Amino acid sequence: MPGTPYPKEQMHRIAYTKLSEQQIASKLSKVSGPTSASPLADAFAGKSIRIVTDNGPALAYTFSRNNRLSVAENGGGAVEAGYGALTLGSVAFVSHMIPGTQRGYAVVIDQGTNLATVFELWFSGYQDNREVQREIYYGYVEQPGQEAPKGRHVTTNRVEGKGFYWKQDNGAETLEFYPSAAYSNFVELSRFGGELGFCAPSDYIKINDDFYIYTRTECEFSGTFTAYVMDLNRVEQIGVRLGFDADDALEYYVFRGKGEWLGQLAQFEKFGDEKGSPVPAGPVPAAGAPAAAPAAPAKGARRVYRPLRTMAKMSKAEVDAACAKRTSAFAPRGISPGANAPAASMAGNLGPNTGWLAGKSLTLRYDTAPAMEYRFDDAETLHWRKEGDSEWVKARYQAFESMPGVILFGHLLEGAPNHDGHSIVADFHQGLVTCFNGYLNTPYFANEAGVKIHFGVIEMEGLIPPKYNRHYFTDEMIGRAVSQNYAPGLTSMHLYTTPHSLSWIIFTDSDAGGLEWSGPASYVKIRDGLYFMYWLEEACNGTLGTILVNLHTMRDVGIGYNCGENGLNMNALGAHERLAGRFDVMRFYQVKTSGGVA
Amino acid sequence: MTTDTASTRRDFLKGGALLAAPLAAVAAPAVILAEDELKVRLARLENVAAIRELHQSWLRRINTRTDDPAGTAAAAARMFADAKRAAFDEGVRSIAADHAGEPDAIEIAADGKSAAGRFPCAVEIDTAIAQDCTLAQMAYQQGGGFVRRTERRVLKVEYVKASGAWAIAKIEFA
Repeated sequence: MPGTPYPKEQMHRIAYTKLSEQQIASKLSKVSGPTSASPLADAFAGKSIRIVTDNGPALAYTFSRNNRLSVAENGGGAVEAGYGALTLGSVAFVSHMIPGTQRGYAVVIDQGTNLATVFELWFSGYQDNREVQREIYYGYVEQPGQEAPKGRHVTTNRVEGKGFYWKQDNGAETLEFYPSAAYSNFVELSRFGGELGFCAPSDYIKINDDFYIYTRTECEFSGTFTAYVMDLNRVEQIGVRLGFDADDALEYYVFRGKGEWLGQLAQFEKFGDEKGSPVPAGPVPAAGAPAAAPAAPAKGARRVYRPLRTMAKMSKAEVDAACAKRTSAFAPRGISPGANAPAASMAGNLGPNTGWLAGKSLTLRYDTAPAMEYRFDDAETLHWRKEGDSEWVKARYQAFESMPGVILFGHLLEGAPNHDGHSIVADFHQGLVTCFNGYLNTPYFANEAGVKIHFGVIEMEGLIPPKYNRHYFTDEMIGRAVSQNYAPGLTSMHLYTTPHSLSWIIFTDSDAGGLEWSGPASYVKIRDGLYFMYWLEEACNGTLGTILVNLHTMRDVGIGYNCGENGLNMNALGAHERLAGRFDVMRFYQVKTSGGVA
Repeated sequence: MTTDTASTRRDFLKGGALLAAPLAAVAAPAVILAEDELKVRLARLENVAAIRELHQSWLRRINTRTDDPAGTAAAAARMFADAKRAAFDEGVRSIAADHAGEPDAIEIAADGKSAAGRFPCAVEIDTAIAQDCTLAQMAYQQGGGFVRRTERRVLKVEYVKASGAWAIAKIEFA
């Protein structure tokens, strides 16, 4: 059988080995320098240069050939190392390790201005040794007899909103989106089949109006570091990849790539604000601690969202106990007693709930799940039973009419062994229904929500449902970015990266894109301009988020389903939205016909 | 030919000297009275200046969220009559003078041992958002997770003088 492009486990499910310092040292000792699929540049062969950085090292290089150099740090003794260099226009990218250590450098030199940016890289600097650490120094190449240049490369938000398809010289293909000034989103087309997008902390540095430096460190995953210089006009890149893959093999290579521009999203900072690094680097203060002056960040420090490390990881027994202790559906607004409590903070811009269903009875007949019979007592109480059951079960619900005739409502299914909750969109003009059926006791962590999708029809007095027509999965939202303001101080943006995932970007106080994360997702078209979608916060709090996005009113209304140590919660959420643009990406997700089954 | 003329600060001072000359010729008791008044006035000005300096130190502490290098306790002990009253609303992020408001007012008590101040100000106040969802948790992680608003308020401060130095006895918004 031919192979598929998909990995055995997606990145967020891979149990990456906790490599020891000794294991890393051993693997590094076997490598003299980075490999390269493209011919290495000889721009520096036979030359000596000295790079001076602000508040950082001075590096004296002598390049004997196009792959051997000696380097002296801060006037110390010179050591020989293998290196790789590539050039793009006037910009050179050089990378090498320091033999006998777990440290190395990636150096970007603009030979036109003699300005340089130096990335010091090292392993074993974090509790997960394999995660590459980086510190960035800005400086210049010393020119004998000349004054030091005053300018420097600078962090910037000028890359924010851009997206590119890249194909490296080794065949690796990715979609890379930069919707944040502190994070980025990447879809591994060739390595992982392009099902999901993932996020990583990133640096964005301006060389000039055309050339920028980008980095990402795949924190929470393999820890691999990627950095490259990109020419935005020619859509070409040169860079380095350093890290250990899922099989713990060292990846250390320089690469050259070409790409395609995919589009530009809106930026929301004030005009004139081109600052980079919008997220402070220092440690996050403990929750509830008095605010204090920011402490000086440690070398290489940056804020990294590490949801897997912080989420509650519960067994089935713990989930059952937590649900028995406390289950809450649509708690009154304004009540928010703590983490994993009803997410009242996302209900700040929630519209009013509707009482249209009150007094009605109906059956939702799903194609692939038991029909559900309903009696709606009032605007917030219903009784449900599965067709064929004799007993009705009382449940609290809330309903929201997003568009005339289209109602989103949800409720928990008390007594269901997996603590199910239904988030349902019913179109009473078309007689169609879609249910996102959330459930717990999933394979990785029992408190992590899973979802089943049921399409079907509404049966009720006076309504004749269609025989064949159904809501259906859509790719109409793929590539779009939509910002959501849930409440003052709580603004995010969804980027619908692939047909099976989305990412969310959290805006900073200055409305720059900040931390970002992603999860599996799916998209259902309800009507033109009305989309029902969900995302799973897998390896990240375990929430199932469902929203009904109305592109006419630019509002969304949704239902969240979450289980944590404080119990099971279903809550309503609502946001004011803005369209932020769209990337042209669907062509990368088409399955192309090739060959036959061997 | 014409010549431009302009009055200068020197001219103004000359006028002042001329006006002051008759005052120097008044009788001796009046001089003594004037000296006493000057002493009182000087003492009042010195007290007001000391209180302003104390107020500025307190504002700096609030706005920069930094303390005396010797530490929070030392700073509190230096500025407050009772260090236990040094805590202030943690939601206040910054306080700036409200130049559109009434002028600052510092009243020194007749005995010179206490004083009261009223300082119109623009206050930035952060209200923390409950970290009850992923979005709020991520906002907090990146230094946000609060709602900030600016309000025009009046700082009402009571001061006491002990051992020759002014200290804050009580500080609150009116």
